[in-house]
Amino acid sequence: MNAEPIIRLGAVTKRFGRTVAVDDVTIDVPRGRCLGWLGPNGSGKTTLIRCMLGLARVSAGTIEVRGREVPRDVREALAGVGAIVEEPRFYPYLSGRRNLEVAAGFVGREAFGRIDDAFGRVDLAAAAGTAVKKYSLGMRQRLGVARSLLTDPELLILDEPSNGLDPAGMAEFRRMIRSFVEQDGRTVFISSHLLDEVEKIADDIAIVQAGSLVVHGTVAELVAGGAATVRVRVDEPERARAVLGALRFVSGVQAPEPRTLDVSVERVDDESSMAITRALVESGIGVAEILQRRESLEERFLEITRGEEPPPVPEPPS
Amino acid sequence: MTRALFRTIVGRKGSFLGTVGVTLGAVIVVAVVLAVVHGLRPGRNPSIGGQPMLDGVSGAVWLLGGVGAIVIGALAGSYDVAQGTMRYLVLTGVRRIGLYVARTMALVAAVLLALLPALVLGLALVFLLPHEAEANVNASEVGDVVWTCFLWPTVFAVIAMGIGSLLRSNGAAVAISLFFAFAAAPLLGLVSAASETLGNLMLLPALDRVTGGNHGAPIAAAAAAVIGWVALFWCAGAVRINRDEY
Repeated sequence: MNAEPIIRLGAVTKRFGRTVAVDDVTIDVPRGRCLGWLGPNGSGKTTLIRCMLGLARVSAGTIEVRGREVPRDVREALAGVGAIVEEPRFYPYLSGRRNLEVAAGFVGREAFGRIDDAFGRVDLAAAAGTAVKKYSLGMRQRLGVARSLLTDPELLILDEPSNGLDPAGMAEFRRMIRSFVEQDGRTVFISSHLLDEVEKIADDIAIVQAGSLVVHGTVAELVAGGAATVRVRVDEPERARAVLGALRFVSGVQAPEPRTLDVSVERVDDESSMAITRALVESGIGVAEILQRRESLEERFLEITRGEEPPPVPEPPS
Repeated sequence: MTRALFRTIVGRKGSFLGTVGVTLGAVIVVAVVLAVVHGLRPGRNPSIGGQPMLDGVSGAVWLLGGVGAIVIGALAGSYDVAQGTMRYLVLTGVRRIGLYVARTMALVAAVLLALLPALVLGLALVFLLPHEAEANVNASEVGDVVWTCFLWPTVFAVIAMGIGSLLRSNGAAVAISLFFAFAAAPLLGLVSAASETLGNLMLLPALDRVTGGNHGAPIAAAAAAVIGWVALFWCAGAVRINRDEY
């Protein structure tokens, strides 16, 4: 597999007047993985995607997609890219198949041969002849993915693709995205504000706040970077606090509730839990419950993005 | 690409089939009116077909076809941006100017196709309906009508597409295009009060000249003026398409 990053952003900045929508973002996106591009609403996720796809011009910085500079070589770059930006839009008066034929007419002759496969891949073959205005939102999302597949893309860029899907639709969508990565070897760049969804789909996560990239790493790294605590429920909290505070691997003890202590440790594992239990029991303190706690992605996300209110990003002209 | 865009234009049934229906209906109305008038006073109106029918067909297709073509053209220019499909066309990697050229060709084809049924029916009635020898029409007269009925709507359709590409809103695009055709363009004729030469190069006098009018600028200058007017709006739309962010 090509070791070159499939997306390479160098100090990308996009301004709308005085508002900085994307602020000095630098990141390499590796091939064959799913990257979750996470951020609160208005954090510049869609604006960056529009820049990557040549739909909008950057104010500063460089963008390379598939080794081609955007916007200079945008045609070559987009030849292997499929995308949904904000939401999939279609000609509502045409059928799903006609809509894909319109797109195929732009992509090239070989794209017509991919239409049936694309419908099958998103499980929409039965509705291919139905006018898009009769599609549900979920069907339109799937049709958008089908359209993205017409270029046989090595990179799929999906902007909030699971918006409007019901739980069953989301589960199906997750399976589909993972199959693109695991079976086809495609790279998926998926932006979302739905943490739970991204955590289940993505291999890597980048978090943006107010246009700036604040964290980038694997899901495991990101969660591991959060607070790790062992929660204990004891009968003598004050004495327990003193006992635990004296342990070498304990960096702090908090009491969130009466008779409950959160013990901050370097690493949450069975050894630290057993050491805590042993120290308490040997001191004659009764232990009612012990629980290993690690911050969820959602807690990490809120911790990272807490505080500063992002400036509103202007909507793209429509 | 042109075929794909053609499908999107003719697929908007309200504008496309509406134009087909209205022009066809107008031709039928003309035939019915001529038949009724003939039936009431055959001495004064001896012919239903022939020249009277040709005049009626020309007027009906030229006017109503023109209105339909303007609506089709304005929507061709504005719809993709208004609907949000433009970014997905751009995302295919196609050159924006190439897209715009293809859209223009698709629009011209769609306008001609929309007017064709009415024109074919009308010309058939010209020859089939009873008429006196004095009302016979020759190939040159038929050619003039066909040329006029195709050129006027096509010119205004392309101008409307340019306006639509500039405005990015369907309703505004249709309204401004109709305003230009039926108010602004005629008002430009007032230029002739200051300079007859310049007045002859305004859109309507120039179009009239290249579709058989006997007065005005030399035919080459009139043709150049028409091309210039179309190019003005077309290029304005092209610049916007090329510069815009989606």
